[in-house]
Amino acid sequence: MEKVSLKFSIMLTAVVLAAMLAGVWLAAAYRENGSRAILLPDQVMTLFPAPKPLAAFAFKDHENRVFDLSRLKGKWSFLFFGYTHCPDICPTTLATLARAHENIAKSSAGAKDVQFVFISVDPDRDTVGKLRQYVTYFDTGFLGVTGDNAQLGNLAAQLGAVYQLAITPGMENYPVYHTAAVFLVDPRARYHAVFAPPLDAEGISRRFEVLRELEGPKAT
Amino acid sequence: MRWRHTGFACLILALAPIAAATEEAGVSVRDAWVREAPPGVSMMAGYMVLQNKTSRPQVLVAARSPGFETVMIHRTIAKEGMTGMEHAPQVELLPKASLVFAPGGYHLMLLNPKRTLHAGDRVDITLEFRGGLVLAVAYAVRK
Repeated sequence: MEKVSLKFSIMLTAVVLAAMLAGVWLAAAYRENGSRAILLPDQVMTLFPAPKPLAAFAFKDHENRVFDLSRLKGKWSFLFFGYTHCPDICPTTLATLARAHENIAKSSAGAKDVQFVFISVDPDRDTVGKLRQYVTYFDTGFLGVTGDNAQLGNLAAQLGAVYQLAITPGMENYPVYHTAAVFLVDPRARYHAVFAPPLDAEGISRRFEVLRELEGPKAT
Repeated sequence: MRWRHTGFACLILALAPIAAATEEAGVSVRDAWVREAPPGVSMMAGYMVLQNKTSRPQVLVAARSPGFETVMIHRTIAKEGMTGMEHAPQVELLPKASLVFAPGGYHLMLLNPKRTLHAGDRVDITLEFRGGLVLAVAYAVRK
């Protein structure tokens, strides 16, 4: 019995030592890379090696204020394209983002430098009043914005988002197809990362907090 | 029901609840819920877990509710980088298997509720299967 247990403890010690060495090596590797490496590769968040500066666009927000490129500066912005007549994926995503917002607000750095923007691709049905009711239901801090098709197409194309309104004459509840990803724009109004569905609040907030800490000084 | 003309109506009526209970045991529904709608929104979705306890496939062919103008079986699908909904005319449950209706997948599309539903309310929806099995399910409304 004693022999076995001695053998076992030697083995265990070796394994623990190997694990510790691996840990030290990994930590060093991350430090050297400066280090967005800890966020890669990742199925939840795709981080772009070179964040892409966004060009001008013009929307109205749910308080009827102008929402343009300048409104993306100085804050991290989570953008989601959708429409209010959407029963499944839009409310699910907005509820998830509201929880992510809550998590970020509880983190030490808080959520003062973060905004969440719901971009309606269905401006005919989603009026300013409707957007206000809709987004504030999920989170009183959320913004709802929309614009004409040219402006929506403009920002969507810059982010690689696509959408399509399947309008049928006489059909009141036409469906809308849209990219279900959440886009992250940094405080310099650069397209920085994208979160792919299926989305979960903790997955988003944890990654965002790490990214913000790493990028904070550079991105603002 | 077709036994009624044999004249044993009373007997059948007495046995009907037993027959229903046996059939209901074939497919069970749990975690049935409807997401509360934001104000002004008349399009809702219902979710649940269906379990086919029988050793043959069961096919969900329709859903109805007195609480809504229209109920349809829908599925959220992804194509060409976009997410959208498509109508699923029927959904097959494999033998001895579960099928989950969940956000981002299969759901009951609930259009125009007859009254505003709030978290904490319950709403009845009837699920109809091929072969005549009908399940009345109470869905909990929640955020």
